[in-house]
Amino acid sequence: MPETVQAGSGTIRLMKVDITDVEIEAFVYYASHDLNLGSGYGTAIAMRGGPPVQEELSKYDTLETTQAVVTGAGEMKAQYIVHAVGPRFQEENLEDKLRTTIVNALAQAEARGITSLAFPPMGTGFYGVPLDVSARIMIETLSTYAHNSPKITDIAICVMDNRESKPFEAAMAAHGRA
Amino acid sequence: MSKEKRSHKAQKVIERMGKKLNRQVVGSLVACVHCGNCTDSCHYVLANPGDPTYAPAYKADRIRKFFKAHYDWTGRVFPAWVGAKSLYTDEDLEELKDTVFGKCTNCRRCTINCPMGVDYATFNRMARGLLVSVGVMPEGVAVVSKDQWEIGNQMGVLKEDYLDTLEWMSEELQGELEDPNAGIPIDKEDADIVYSINPREVKYDPRTIADAAKIFHQAGANWTMPSEGWDMTNFGLFSGDDDLGGAVARRLYEKVSELRGKKLVISECGHGYRSTRCEGQNWAQWDIDFVMESSVITMLNYIKEGRIKVDKTRNTTPVTFHDSCNNARSCGLTEEPRELLKLVCTDFREMYPNRAENYCCTGGGGAMSMSEYTPRRLKSAKIKADQLAATGAKIVVTSCHNCVDGLADCIKHYKLGMEVTQLVNLVANALVIEKKVTVPVAEPIAASDLQGRRILVTDDEPDFVTFVSTVLEDNGATVFRAYNAAEAMEIARREKPDLITLDISMPDKDGSEVFADIREDDILKRIPVCIITGQPELRKLIYDKPHRPPEGFVSKPVTEDGLLLNVKKLLKVAHHQPEGVRKQ
Repeated sequence: MPETVQAGSGTIRLMKVDITDVEIEAFVYYASHDLNLGSGYGTAIAMRGGPPVQEELSKYDTLETTQAVVTGAGEMKAQYIVHAVGPRFQEENLEDKLRTTIVNALAQAEARGITSLAFPPMGTGFYGVPLDVSARIMIETLSTYAHNSPKITDIAICVMDNRESKPFEAAMAAHGRA
Repeated sequence: MSKEKRSHKAQKVIERMGKKLNRQVVGSLVACVHCGNCTDSCHYVLANPGDPTYAPAYKADRIRKFFKAHYDWTGRVFPAWVGAKSLYTDEDLEELKDTVFGKCTNCRRCTINCPMGVDYATFNRMARGLLVSVGVMPEGVAVVSKDQWEIGNQMGVLKEDYLDTLEWMSEELQGELEDPNAGIPIDKEDADIVYSINPREVKYDPRTIADAAKIFHQAGANWTMPSEGWDMTNFGLFSGDDDLGGAVARRLYEKVSELRGKKLVISECGHGYRSTRCEGQNWAQWDIDFVMESSVITMLNYIKEGRIKVDKTRNTTPVTFHDSCNNARSCGLTEEPRELLKLVCTDFREMYPNRAENYCCTGGGGAMSMSEYTPRRLKSAKIKADQLAATGAKIVVTSCHNCVDGLADCIKHYKLGMEVTQLVNLVANALVIEKKVTVPVAEPIAASDLQGRRILVTDDEPDFVTFVSTVLEDNGATVFRAYNAAEAMEIARREKPDLITLDISMPDKDGSEVFADIREDDILKRIPVCIITGQPELRKLIYDKPHRPPEGFVSKPVTEDGLLLNVKKLLKVAHHQPEGVRKQ
């Protein structure tokens, strides 16, 4: 199973690592509409990054689904966090919204000059997007982006465990065959 | 109202219900005859006698009505007659949330009192899961679920904090026992025991970790704790999210398999024991290749096997025992905790009703996380408070972390003046710590002569096993301890040590018979055996056997150097005889 896919001038790599503790320029956080960090990865950002992240978020109003903003990452290993509000809990037009969220996250990161960006399995787990759906849409969307002279040339997908990695391995293998 | 007018979330709940209906759930949904037997079994009803909305049959009907409307033929043919009614609006979902999360702890006491076998908690859990799937849940449930999904444990404990806590507890233990080898091994491969805990222990009660480590150390256990996948609790059991249930269980199972652990020991937690031991394999669709056991059973066996000694007079305050609903009603773990309690306490007082009929602590496997329902929960805790007060005990013991918090809240609210503790704390307090036997020598023997050598020490006298083990371990050997014949053979077959020391006179089986068993085993017969006996006159029993004689024979009493001399000789290790020590 491939752990790295070459797409145009960019690469997409699969890593089994805690996304909030990875050595990379920026990572995506699947944020809530009110941009409160909350629990889960939000706990890790608050603990490892310190107060500056939430303070920076407080200058924004609520975001609509698919929108994204970039903040610093406080004392974390990454420099930036892309807070992206994706679809959740079986909401309508979920797949389209997920694609748009990924595209918007990439655009916001590009605007900040970021060249290396990590994604979690977008919307899976607590928010209920099925792993295979997330994997398919993420690999499709990120590959399309990487084939079009991307500014972000290093894209990582950070999974927690084997259960999460297998659908992504399958999606990357399918992409390689296409 | 037509399907087109139904809210998106309500439609999704109804569609998803079809995927969750199995024979057990359908059986419970159709079997109720509204006899009312369940009513008085529920602590919510008993604490709210004028409010019928707490009755299990009433609560069940909130779910049953849309099951009948969509999945049962009676609802399609006679909807009004059988009370079939669909869900339409988001407000309907909020009302359902209030019932399934806020008026029931899924304790299953109504289930065991239902003549029709209706398992209300099972389909109440299903309804919770349906609501969670569309994002309708109490805020506390969302917080805990997200922590467990993304951080890997229910309380959002980061890996570095978990490891720091274990290191801290290791240092505490080493200081208390004055033994640098007493500590918590992390990610040790091929251990006999992989010990998993509740994140509450890391965050609020690390003494339970230290107490467990102390017990494992005193028992000479080959044990470890995993650096990841260590949370044996599973919020999927409470929230009804089967996907979360499967993901959490799989992380733990995979970690134990990765470490090649032989047994997963689950610390005292009813929720954790039920989800890991009884439900997780179904959610994860995972076959496990190791044994799973409650730490209550592990501790009890250590005492019975003589691997640890306890002095019950160290716990003299009157205690009572609270059965966790998940342990007692759902897993049948009722007698072992009592047996253990009677071994480590002098004044145990039974609570009534007890075992499977006990009342819920009201903490209910995660109910404490929902602060909006706290007033209801505490009102319903009056039943528990009366039960506790009637025992006259000063300490209530429970084998569940949720119950610890639920009971503590109840005791505080009703001013009962009791303390809550767990069996691990009482066992650790009762432990008799045997001092190492030290034999003065002119100068220390090279400490690593037996490095890498694996030795099985067999004797029914725990003091002697401790002495021999200490001497061998101090010289670098890995020691397995056996206190009877059956244990010796089991360990020998499993570990295939480099040397076996064997007592002749043992209670369950004569040592000479064990020796014969070893010699007749195709694999074990190659392992050298050293007989160490206080009855050398019984050597005939060994030497008259039609087998190759033992490679070593030592009479008790044994000195440290005499033991080392023989062991090294048998293992063909050079023995550095210190000056001034007389040869045996």
